[in-house]
Order: sequence, then structure tokens, then C-alpha cells
Amino acid sequence: MTPSLEARSLSLVRDGNVVLNQVSFTAAPGEVYALLGGNGAGKSTTLLTFLGFLQPSGGKVLVGGREVAADIEAARAQIAYLPEAASLYGHLDAYENLSYFLDLAGRKVTRAAIDAALDQVALPHAARTRRMQAFSKGMRQKTAIALALLRDTPILLLDEPTSGLDPVAIDEFHDMVKALAAAGRTVLMVTHDVYGACQVADRVGLLRGGRLVGSFEAAEGQRIDTETVHAAFAEREAA
Amino acid sequence: MNTVLLIAREEWRLWARSRVVLVAALIVAVLLAVTSAITAARVGDEAAKRTARQASAEATFFAQPDRHPHRMVHYGHYAFRSPPPLAAFDPGVDAVTGQSIFLEGHRQNTAMFADTRSGADLGGFAALNPANLYQLLLPLLLIIIGHGMVLRERESGTLAVMLAQGQSGLAIAGGKALALAGVAALFLLPVAGLAGFSVAAGEAPLAAAILVAGYALYLGVWVALVLAVSLLVRQRSVALGLLVFAWLLIALIVPRLAINAGSAAVDAPGKIESDLVMLAQQRALGDGHNAADPAFDALQKQVLEQYEAASIEELPINWRGVVAGYSEAKLTDLMNGYAEARMQKEAQQSRIVTLFGLVSPTLAVGASSRTLAGTDLATHHRFLRESEALRFDFVQGLNDLHAKALTYADDAARSADPEAEARTRVNADAWRLLETFRFVPDPATQRVARAGLPLALMLIWLAALGGVIAVGARRLRP
Amino acid sequence: MSAVLREARFLLRDRGALLWIMLALLLSVAATGFGIAEVRDQRATIAELLVEDARDRANALAGQSDWGGAAYAAFHLTYAPPSEFSFAALGQRDTAPWLHRVRMLALEGQIHEADTKNADFGLIGRFDFAFLAAAVAPLLLILLLHDLRGQERVAGRHDLLVATAGKPSRLWLPRAGLRFAGLATALLLPFWAGAAIEGAGMAKVLAASALVLGALALWWLIIELVGRAQASPPVLLTALVGIWLALALLVPAVARAAIEASTPVPDGAEILMLQREAVNGAWDLPKEATMRPFLAAHPEWEPLGEVTRPFEWKWYFAFQQVGDGQAAPVAKAYREGRIARDRAAGIAAFLSPTALVERGFERLAATDTAAMIAYEDAVRAYHGELRAFYYPMLFRDPPYDPAVLSQLPGYTPAQ
Repeated sequence: MTPSLEARSLSLVRDGNVVLNQVSFTAAPGEVYALLGGNGAGKSTTLLTFLGFLQPSGGKVLVGGREVAADIEAARAQIAYLPEAASLYGHLDAYENLSYFLDLAGRKVTRAAIDAALDQVALPHAARTRRMQAFSKGMRQKTAIALALLRDTPILLLDEPTSGLDPVAIDEFHDMVKALAAAGRTVLMVTHDVYGACQVADRVGLLRGGRLVGSFEAAEGQRIDTETVHAAFAEREAA
Repeated sequence: MNTVLLIAREEWRLWARSRVVLVAALIVAVLLAVTSAITAARVGDEAAKRTARQASAEATFFAQPDRHPHRMVHYGHYAFRSPPPLAAFDPGVDAVTGQSIFLEGHRQNTAMFADTRSGADLGGFAALNPANLYQLLLPLLLIIIGHGMVLRERESGTLAVMLAQGQSGLAIAGGKALALAGVAALFLLPVAGLAGFSVAAGEAPLAAAILVAGYALYLGVWVALVLAVSLLVRQRSVALGLLVFAWLLIALIVPRLAINAGSAAVDAPGKIESDLVMLAQQRALGDGHNAADPAFDALQKQVLEQYEAASIEELPINWRGVVAGYSEAKLTDLMNGYAEARMQKEAQQSRIVTLFGLVSPTLAVGASSRTLAGTDLATHHRFLRESEALRFDFVQGLNDLHAKALTYADDAARSADPEAEARTRVNADAWRLLETFRFVPDPATQRVARAGLPLALMLIWLAALGGVIAVGARRLRP
Repeated sequence: MSAVLREARFLLRDRGALLWIMLALLLSVAATGFGIAEVRDQRATIAELLVEDARDRANALAGQSDWGGAAYAAFHLTYAPPSEFSFAALGQRDTAPWLHRVRMLALEGQIHEADTKNADFGLIGRFDFAFLAAAVAPLLLILLLHDLRGQERVAGRHDLLVATAGKPSRLWLPRAGLRFAGLATALLLPFWAGAAIEGAGMAKVLAASALVLGALALWWLIIELVGRAQASPPVLLTALVGIWLALALLVPAVARAAIEASTPVPDGAEILMLQREAVNGAWDLPKEATMRPFLAAHPEWEPLGEVTRPFEWKWYFAFQQVGDGQAAPVAKAYREGRIARDRAAGIAAFLSPTALVERGFERLAATDTAAMIAYEDAVRAYHGELRAFYYPMLFRDPPYDPAVLSQLPGYTPAQ
């Protein structure tokens, strides 16, 4: 099967600094790939190259088997992107925000579908017609996740998706990600949360200083061992 | 007090390292320097030229040959309005009003040939002078430098740290105010320099000092406004947008709306319009050239009685000259009445415009600046009044000559009899009766008194903004 | 279409943007309203003066007993009425005279009279629609559009928005376009209403609207180019305000100073002095000295050109014209200098959209320098007609008949 997302010897130089160096990995439909790393490891940068916001200085990135640079628009159309600490418009309520963004993506979605997605992320009914500037960080994140769900794209790019969520919501979110993968979607999430990555990902790539320095794969029917990854992460961070 | 200074110093250090601040300040500084130098040179040149013209106009008058005095009444004279020394900083209405008036008998001419009439028209505010830069550009510079003073601390979280360390909101606001006021003070140097230059050129130190103080007050108002917005608004881009908008309103829109309002509120008739009304009255006064005009019957009776003569031929003085002087005086009374009314209407309009200074300190500082520089409308009116007095004096001097140095018989016969005509020519030495005229604006104390209202308006602004800042600073939260 | 609807709904919820647009509407209403009031005031003044002028002339002529006296006493009103479009741009009407009362005396002594208005008006300037559209509107557009991208960047929404839209233009174009359209509509609606009230011609209104839209589009382009820089909104706004200052204030001011330095205009006072010396000097000269140049210009009066008495009206008016003639080279240079400066300013205006819009409006409104000079030319032509009317009377000297004076030429303003 063609991988939905692929980085092939991806390198990126910005302002003379090497941000990504020969990074290669793939993520196939039905798979959750987690890029794990500390601050400045190049995690979010990797996501932005898949979205065509940054051009690789070397190597290439492919979405659905096609190089992103060849048709940025087509790549973006296949991707739902959840930025870190996503903030939607504060002066609009949840419904208005979602219909605005979905309209922007060229999708017509019924109110019932929006409600269903908001149910899925467990945003309380009473909150949905309130302006989002009154939302807590968790509620904002939930609404943004609902947007990613409603986009109904084959690929999801999640940037620190669980930051700001309470432990219960994190668990629910992880279940949701797994369910999405089970339904055939490709999920690439970047995080610095070792535990969360191991919980939800089929494979974990450890990114450090722009290099992919380790790769962990779950044994059949099991989760990735958190201790192993944590040890590697800590060792590399200390190095 | 120490904290205040510390905070201010921190701010200065930050600005000194900001490229945006440095570039903006440098551009404004260069503009100010270049404009000041050019304007000072141009106005100085203009002043010398007009003074020379005034002197040459007088010399030409004196150099006229022997002739009938009434011919000199029509030959006339010129009055030039020389720009005062501070016009090098604020040329004011000089470009808009004509700079010279032709003075002749029986007429009050307008000041002609304003610069704007032959100027290259490039729209609204195409004139650059130091005063304009101070009024329009410096507030923008203060906005760009200062809008983030408090907000930056808030956005970076340092405000919370400062407050947690026990620094009071008032001390923080004081430090920021001092920092921006320091920049404003630095930029007051060019105007202070030009003021000093003008004192050396003969301007009263009082007027020059108050002019600088007026700009200090004006920049103070903007410092306070910038600080108040930075204190009260929570987002940096909103603060800057708001301040730019305030600038647009205060510096560009309100002044012009004030002009519209002044023009709509007080209908000041143009000179042609009021002259027309006057002409009807003037005809009733009689034609001074025609001594037989029945309008002079009463005068004739009175003069005959005074000299105990039976007819005008027996009078020891020239009846024609008497009539000329009498009718000139009457006519001048009438013309002055209309001119005075017109000037008062204009002054009324300008007062309305100045009162809009309550909404726009830019208008207030403009009014005080022009007043103190001696380039305001009132000074132009003074020029009109003084040149009129000059006109009346020499015309009446000539009319007196007409009455006393000529015989009635010769005067009456001169159109037909060349010998009589020769006897009506007065020796050219008599033309010395023309007084030398060098226009100077009102004394400094009067100008300062007149600038009191706009200066007070700016003080009101400063006090009100100071109150807002004090309240905002006391309630300052991270 | 759906993009337009989407952004329209979005705009309606954006209070900041609506505030700027409402403000533009209010300012436009004020500018148009004041403009119409002023133009009506000027028309009323002219109408009133026409009546007064006729009455005064009748009064002045009533006491006359010869042609020369009549020519000396009768004043004639000349005027340039405001065009139906003047309400939008009062232009030079605030500083240049548009009213005169002339008589048969030397014209150079009369035509430069300034029907003075409050000098503060000319100094500060009016708030008319041309100023609003040329100078203020770009700043409002800058405030409206400068942080379209930057504000989303600061809020962390930028990448999400663009990634969702796929193509940046799908988002920014309709978003900026609607704000642009909102501002333009707010500006133009009151202007169009004013034009309808004043009965301004469709072609002029369309041209003016195109001018406003074109200049604003140029500013949009500038904002767009600057806005692409990855800088914070305050820095972007600072840069844009700087560009605005340069284009609206500095370029015109420098261009003006440069033009005035490179294209000298003779000092106007010179004209008057020459004319005065000539006219006054004539009294002392032999009559010949006046009549020779006069008859050279008017050979038709050669047979009747002899002056025998110390004072004759034909000689008096002849030296008035000769005085004009003496000042003519300087007057011509003054006129041509002004035209040259205006032409140079027209070219320089291409460097500044602000100046271009203001000049464009003034031209459409016939309140530009060219229109003012055209008015002066019309006054000169009319004065010529007066001379043509009186000279036969003065030279042939038929018996004085006041009825003939009812055929005095009247001034008709150019349309």
C-alpha cells in the first residue's frame, strides 16, 4: 500500500540553521505515527512541510504518494490540521467558527453533523452557542478537534493535540484517534509527551536536533513500551 | 523616584536597540533639520527682500517730480508685510495672504499676490515647514515609539513580575511617561534652536520662550495620550490602531471640520460683496473729485462761515483740497467700518476654529504657534489696519497740501490753462510727508495674551489625560 | 460567491472593521454635506451680487453726463460660478478669487485683487470629499487591512486558516476584498447622493469614482505587498503609515518645492508697479507719447486720435490701456509661469496617489489652477469687450445718450 505520508531524506535549512536533517519516515492508512521530541527538535516544522508552508531544502515530502511541492493545494485538501494551542475566533461561537472554517475548506456540513462531532469531543451543549473567547483552553481544543473530524480527510496532522486537555479528556482523545486510524485514516501527531505517544501510536519516531535518532514499533497486538522510549528520550536529551 | 528613573532608563535602552524606533527617529530628525534650515533661509531671504522693496517703494515716492498733490494721491504707495523672525519656524498665513498692498486715495485695496496663487498645486497639505512637522509628524513618532510601553511588559509577562516586586502602578506609569517625555524633550531641541535664532534676529525672548513651551505642552499631550492608551488597552495592535486613528482625527480631520464649521457658522462676506453694499452708501457721500457735488453743500456753508467768506473763490484756502480731504475722511470712516466688520467676522470664525482645540490639540498648538510667531490672522489684520493708517495719513497730508499750497483759481483753471497747471505743481520736497513704514507684529506681551486661550486648551487636555493615567496606573493589573 | 457570503457574514461580526467603515461613511456624509452647503452659499452670493451689481451700476450711470464719465463710474461683476461638481472639491476656490468687479480702467490694477477670505481657511484647508478620498481614505484602508494576516499570525490561526483554505488567495482575497468594498461603498454612497442632489454629470461622477477606486486599489496593492512580510502588526502598521506619509505628504511637498524653485514666476507685485508707473507717468508725458503706442495697437482710431485739450477721456482711457500693455510682458510671464508650474505639478502628481486624486477631483470640479486661469482669461476677454464698446463712443464722441448704455456687454460665465 502507498504510504499516505512520507518524508524522504527530508532536510530543511532556515536562516542558515539546519532544522531538519535527512529525516525519513512513512505513515500508512490506518496507522498512527507519533513524532516525539523536545523543544526545537523540528517536530512542528515537519508538519509545516507536509502542509507546504515550508519547502524542503533537500529530499522530499509526499502526501498520498505525490510530492507536496507539485500541488500544495491537493496535499492540503487531503489533510486536516490541528495546530498547537489552536485558537478559533473568539468573537464567534462554536457553530459559527466550525461553519466558517468548513466553508473555507469548501465543505457543506449540516448543523446535525456539527452537533455529532461536538458530541464526539464532548463539548457541552450549553457552550456551543457561546462566544469562544469565554471558552477554557480545553474547550477550545475540543472544538478545534471537532473541526479536524468534520473535515473528514484521509490524513490528520496533530500538533501537540492533548496540551490543555484534562486527563479524562486526554484518554477520550486517544481513543478517538485510535478509532480514526481503525477507520482507515492516517494520523501523524507530534508531541513531547512520551506516555501519550506510546499510548496511541503504532510507531514512534524520536526526533532530536532535526535528526530522526530512533524508531520504535509496537509488537503485534501490543503497545509500545513506554519505559524503553522514555529511556531513549532522556538519554538523547541529556546528550 | 529612583524606580521611576530606573524604569525610564530601561525603556531608553530598549528603544536605542530597536531598529524601527531608531529609523523612525532618524527620519524625523533629518526632516526637521532640513526643513528648518530651508525654511529659515527662505523666510530670511523673503524678509530681506520685502524690507528692501518697502524701502525702494518709499524712495520711488520721494523721487517723484513736482506735480499736483492729488496726482500723488493716485500715484499711491506700497506697504509690505515683512515676516517676523519666528516666521522661520511657522510661516503661518504668510503664504495664503498677499504680502503687499497698493495704497492709494479713495480705495482700500486687498493684499495681492499670495504665494498660493502661483504655487504648484499638489493637493491638501503640500507645504512643509518646521511647525507643520511638529504638529503632524512628531505625534506619529511618539505613537510609534511609545504605544507598546506598558503593553509590551504586559504581553511578555514582565508587568506581573514588576508588580509582584512591589513596584506601584504609578511608579511604572511615571517611569514610562518620563521615558517618552525624554524623547519629546530631545525633539524640542530644533524648535528651541530656531527660537534662539529668532531672538538673535530681534524677536522678544518672551514670545520665543512661550512658543517653545507651547510645543512642549503639545508633545506632552501626545505623550500622555500614548501612555494612557498603552495603559488601558490590552492588545498592542489595537493600541497602535487606536492611536493612529486618534492622530488621523486630531491632526487631519477635526482641524478641517473646524474650518467647515467656522465657515458655516459665521457668514463673513467677501470684500467685493461688502464693497458693493458700501458703494451705495459711498455715492451718497459725494464724489471728492467734484467739488460742486451737492453733497458738499453743508460743508461749504460751514467753511464759508469759518473763514467769513462770501464765496469759495474768496476763501484763503483751496476749496477743492478741502473737499478732497473732507470726503476722504468720510469715505475712510465708511470703509474702515466695513473693513472692521469683515475682520471681526473673520476673527469670529477663527475663534470658533480655535475653540475646536478642545477636540484637537493640533488646532490649539497651531493657533498658539502662529499667534506667538506673529503669523496669525490677527497679525495680518494688524497689517491691514496699519497699512490703512499709513494710507490715510499720506493721502490726508497730500489733501492738506492741496488745500493750502494751491489757489482755488489755479486749481480750477488747470485743465484748460497750462500756466495755471504749472502753478498747481507742488515742489517734490513735500513728498517727504510720507512716513516710513516697517511692519512689525504686536508686542510680545499682547501675543502671549492672545495665545492664552489655545495654551489653556492644551493644559485642559494634559490635565484630563493625566487624570486618566493616574486612575489607570493605580488600577494597573498584569 | 459562497466565499463572498462567508466573508460578508464574517465581516458583519467584526466590530473593529465595521467601526472604520462606519467612520468612513460619517466622514463622507460630513464632507459632502459641507461641500454642498458651501457651494450653495457661493451660488447665493453670486445671485445676490448680480442684483446688487445691476442696481449699483444703474445708480452710478444715473448721474453721468458724458461717455467717459460713464465708463469711469460703471463697474461690472465678473464671476466663476461653482460647477455642479465643485461640492466634492473646493480646490483653488478658497485661495484664488472667483469674483471681480471691473471697469474700464487699466485691468492689471483690478484683476489681481483678491476677494479675501479668512486666511485660516486657505491655510488649514477644508474637509471636502476630495481630501477625504485622497488623503484620509488610504489611511482608513491601511487601518482596515494592515493586520489581516498579522493578526491571524499573532492569534496562531494563520496556518490553520491557510491549510484549511488550501490556497491563500481563497481566504485573503475575499476577506480583504469585502473590507475594501465596504470602505469604498461607505465613501462613495454619500458622494453619489451628493452628486445626484447637485445634478453633477454622470460621466464626471463615474470618472471620479474610478479615480477613488483606482487610488484605493493601488493602496490595497501596497498594503498587500507590505503585509506579506513576516512582521508583527505594529511593525507593519508603522511601515505602512510611513509609506503613507511619504506618498501623501513628503513627495508632494518636495515636488512642490522643487517645481517652484525650478520654474520661477515673476513677482506679482512687479506687474502692478509697472502698470502704476505707466499710468501715472502718462499724466506728465506729452499726449503723443500715449497716443502713438495706442494708435499703433488700434489703427482704426488713427483719424480721430488727436488730443487737443489738457484732459480728454479718450486719452485717459488710452493711457490706461497703454499701461496694461506696458505690464503685459510681466503679466504674461506670470500667467505662463503659473501654467508651467501647474503642468509640472500634474506630472509630479503621478508620484503621489494623494496628489493625483486631489488634482483629478479639482480638474473634474473645475476648481484647479487651469480653471482659475481660464476665469481670469474670461475676465480679460470681457474687459476687451467693454473697451470695444466704449472706444467708438469716446473717439467719435456722439451726443451722450444713456439709452445706448443698456447695450453694454454683460459678463457671461463659461460653462
